[in-house]
Amino acid sequence: MRKGLAAGALARPALALAVYAIFASSLPNYHTAVGVWALLDGSVLTGLVAVGVGLTMIAGELDLSVASMAALAGVLTMRLIGVGAVPAVAVAVAVVAAALFGAAQGYLISWLRINSLVFTVGTLIGLRGVALVAANETTLTLPLDQLSITDAVDGRLFVFSPLSATMLGAFALAGLFASRTIWGREIYAIGGGRAESRVAGVPQRRPIVVAFAACAAFAALAGGLMSIRSGSASPLSFDAALLEAVAACLIGGVALEGGKGGFFGVLMGLFTLRLVLSGIASLGAPFWAQNLAAGLLLIFVIVVETASAAVGRWRERAGARAAIADRGA
Amino acid sequence: MLNMSHIARRYGAAVALESADLSVAGGQVMALLGENGAGKSTLVKILAGLETPDAGAIEIDGRRRRFHSPGQAREAGVGYVAQELSIVEHLSAAENVFLGDIRAGWYRSPRRIAKRARPYLDAMGLSHIDALAPAGDLSVGERQLVEIARLLSRSARIAILDEPTAALADAEIHKVENAVRTLVAKGCAVIYVTHRLREVFRLCDRVTVLRSARSFPAVDVASLDVDQLIEKMLGRRLDQMFPERARAIGEDLLVLRQAQGPGLRAPVSLAVRRGEIVGLAGQVGSGANAVLRLICGLASLLSGEMTLGGEALAPGSLRDAIARGVCFCSDDRKRDGIFAGRAVTETLSAPSLSRVSRFGLIDGERERGFAEPLARRFGLDPAHLRRKTGNLSGGNQQKAALGKWVGVDPRVLLVEEPTRGVDVGARAEIYGQLRRLANEGVPVVFASSDTQEVIGLADRFATFYQGRMVRMWNAADATPEAITRDVTHPEAAALAKDA
Amino acid sequence: MSTVSQGARPALLHGKLARRFFWAAAAAAALALAGWTTPAFLTLDNLFVVVRAASTTGVVAIGMSYVTISGNLFALSAGQLSALLGIVYALLVRAGAGAPAACGATLVAAAGAGAAQGYAMTIVRNPIITTIAFGAVFAGIAALISGNGNIRLHNEIATWIGTMRPLRVPIQSWVFVAWALVSAFIVAKTRVGRLLTLSGENRLAAQASGLRVDRAAAFALAMLGVSCAIVAIFSVSQFSQAKADMFSGLDIDCIASVLVGGVALRGGRGSPVQAALGAALIALLQNFLLLRALPSGVRFAIVGALVVAATSGFHLLQRRER
Repeated sequence: MRKGLAAGALARPALALAVYAIFASSLPNYHTAVGVWALLDGSVLTGLVAVGVGLTMIAGELDLSVASMAALAGVLTMRLIGVGAVPAVAVAVAVVAAALFGAAQGYLISWLRINSLVFTVGTLIGLRGVALVAANETTLTLPLDQLSITDAVDGRLFVFSPLSATMLGAFALAGLFASRTIWGREIYAIGGGRAESRVAGVPQRRPIVVAFAACAAFAALAGGLMSIRSGSASPLSFDAALLEAVAACLIGGVALEGGKGGFFGVLMGLFTLRLVLSGIASLGAPFWAQNLAAGLLLIFVIVVETASAAVGRWRERAGARAAIADRGA
Repeated sequence: MLNMSHIARRYGAAVALESADLSVAGGQVMALLGENGAGKSTLVKILAGLETPDAGAIEIDGRRRRFHSPGQAREAGVGYVAQELSIVEHLSAAENVFLGDIRAGWYRSPRRIAKRARPYLDAMGLSHIDALAPAGDLSVGERQLVEIARLLSRSARIAILDEPTAALADAEIHKVENAVRTLVAKGCAVIYVTHRLREVFRLCDRVTVLRSARSFPAVDVASLDVDQLIEKMLGRRLDQMFPERARAIGEDLLVLRQAQGPGLRAPVSLAVRRGEIVGLAGQVGSGANAVLRLICGLASLLSGEMTLGGEALAPGSLRDAIARGVCFCSDDRKRDGIFAGRAVTETLSAPSLSRVSRFGLIDGERERGFAEPLARRFGLDPAHLRRKTGNLSGGNQQKAALGKWVGVDPRVLLVEEPTRGVDVGARAEIYGQLRRLANEGVPVVFASSDTQEVIGLADRFATFYQGRMVRMWNAADATPEAITRDVTHPEAAALAKDA
Repeated sequence: MSTVSQGARPALLHGKLARRFFWAAAAAAALALAGWTTPAFLTLDNLFVVVRAASTTGVVAIGMSYVTISGNLFALSAGQLSALLGIVYALLVRAGAGAPAACGATLVAAAGAGAAQGYAMTIVRNPIITTIAFGAVFAGIAALISGNGNIRLHNEIATWIGTMRPLRVPIQSWVFVAWALVSAFIVAKTRVGRLLTLSGENRLAAQASGLRVDRAAAFALAMLGVSCAIVAIFSVSQFSQAKADMFSGLDIDCIASVLVGGVALRGGRGSPVQAALGAALIALLQNFLLLRALPSGVRFAIVGALVVAATSGFHLLQRRER
């Protein structure tokens, strides 16, 4: 079985490399450092949101309100900068506020023992409303004298930009948290077996609170950084973020039912997804085709996973039949 | 070390325990025996903190304790390995050993966890497994041992093992027995709940028997033999609730020839004739349920053949079986026997929607006309038909779960545990209806772990142990003692040779 | 036989009636207060405005309730499917098929797309992810065949369909009410409706009873598809144009309506009428807030809070009932 695990761990980077190779052969800028830099930089939004959503999925839940939270954080960041805050501090405040909200969300979901899908539909709508109010129904932009802030995040070191470095750091942090700390392991435990973990004495509330707090925090980080990069924040933005983040997680091996999946895998899934999407865009396809591609890729991954599960079951049965035949012979 | 005295517990009108005593010393293995419904699980659940007693006291090391939660019991040193394992498959074996244990610190490097878990896993005879591999890769027996290792890691001083070997093969049972010996060597008081008398004699020092919600004073195993033990377990029971046996038995209807499938270790052959009720007697994991699941299509036939009315029977699914008239009622009505939130009428008519609808519409009149006679036949007050099925008593729910199949006009009815969780009065009614069905020409095949039920209801029955059929009995010739022997401690000669 | 009355818990008739009366009284009080503080609120004209505003979301919410009742949670593809169907209808009309034929074809396509989703959901066993994916594909196809532009119609019959006012009430409102009643009938009184509720109540028991649970999912999604088609046809007819993003945000509004209406998430109980009432209630609330001149952000926030409160409240009530 270890063989299977190793094979699985290799499959995802292999897929990402294959996709890269396919596009690199027809797109010149995929080879260059600048091209890769652009690819990485363009993955930051989806990547950061995916880290958070992935945590909730591993816990066996799902936070639908991430896009609204990102938009709200972007608006909040712009407002804070507008009253004189340093960009880093503005983003930090938004992240902390989001974490507190996420923790409250997680607490209510676990206390009420309600399905997180249902609950986060409400917060999805509500947070969008708060974002609209905070932005006074318009798109906020940086004050003219502070436009230089957007330059700060435009740097390049080899293939990394400040934002993509942050994103990769977030993945590393999340990966370590999930595999090396007890709070992370608890999230895997309740996702892998809610009833079993409860009987064994694993706390049920804490991991959900942690997962939802982290999810909101990462979404806020994404929204804040994006607003600084573009110099503006719209309360209605990021509506494709949820689909892309979930797709990245699923491609990356996070199981639908929870309890399974690692952050290296999600990173590979993210790259695969973004390679396909920006590859399509670079090939001249219209903007909406990206959404279509994301959907098709998701369907493809789901089909493959369902098929391999079915094949596994068929093999098991064939093995049992063979064992009985051996005994009888 | 442990002293439970005068423990009592009732659930509404049902008395689970009237007065039970249990005392175990450190380094001792106490077997807890008793038929289903005698109160075993309630007693251990109380000790494990999952239930609170209505009366009685628990003393550990002379100190009086009250447990209001499993966590409190764990702190007092009580470890409980339930029948349903609490293993999280995707986590590693090592992590499962420490599942729920926060003392191990906030930093969890896989290597450190594996190192810390190693001694516990080795003590359980699991030195050959990779501590970092997911627990889902382990066999059932190995998972059992991981849970026992968890007990050790929490320094449990009182270990409760509930049917630890019910689903295990011989080789793995051996390992569990060794694990128990390890616990004993560490000074644990072990409470071993089982129905397997062989293990009682091999492993246990003393035995407490529970019968009819009361406990009998513990005795040393060395002073008993199998027959005396069985006599203690069974006692005298009223058998007025069983109807007369079959009046006329017809031709073979359902025949199994060397059939084998999941859950069975040796092929099974039996024939069910028109007009009779055939029982499959066995405890958890004996194979009795597996045979039923094979016939109804829930499990696939891996070798051998089955025929119904002379034609081959190999249903690929429950739907196929129902189409052939083979109807199956599982032992867990809450899970798949009734529609708890819908009216009783809807539960009764669910498999027969075509009968109660016309032109695609549900005909209320027809549905009433269908459900009322069915309800009355089973002793359900028609006035209750509009109530939610889940609001009925256990006995009435079971009547609904069974009754819905009667409405389908089946050719054969298969039932697992026909009266689990059912009060005495409803039991008699259910037995009466099953007999009536058989007399009408529909044979009934039922699996049960209740020996009295098997003798009382069946015309003939087969005994099962560890996935093998032991022998076929005529109910008239059988005694409860003989059956209990077959399902708990059959002689090697009686078992089919390993093919 | 004595066992009959033994053990059966008494029907919660008293409790149920008392609760319903309480809610009705609370609703009446709230309406009265709203009417007193906001003059334009409690007028017949305003009521028609509310019903009309609720129609689009309401019709699709009714379709969504089939999915929830069947135990399949939600379909997050309703908005995209509606847009796609609208474009299909517009293209057919523009190609000269004639409005009635175009309607028919659109409805058939809708049912087909729905059933396909339903069967996919039975295989994959996760409705949310499946429908998110399908939604993206619908959106892509919609943008593709519309060239991502605006498709304009110049068809008199179509315009008439979209702007009819029988008895001076917009056709959309009639359709909303009719669809609610028809759907309630289907769910409660037809054989396929019974299949739907039993599958939602206990999937395993339904399978054990020999019922085709996959057909239940396919039917539920087909009805959602038909609801989307209805909304698409009327909207496109009314405004004489179709665009790929014309129904963005519809999913969330519908889900909110279903939840506020109190349809149980676990499935197996409830009626499409509840979803319709939920849509009406949300429209009522939004109408009231509009009359008070509150900005859209505040309206969103309040609706969001209502959804959270309603779902938590119903969840707690259902838990206590067990």
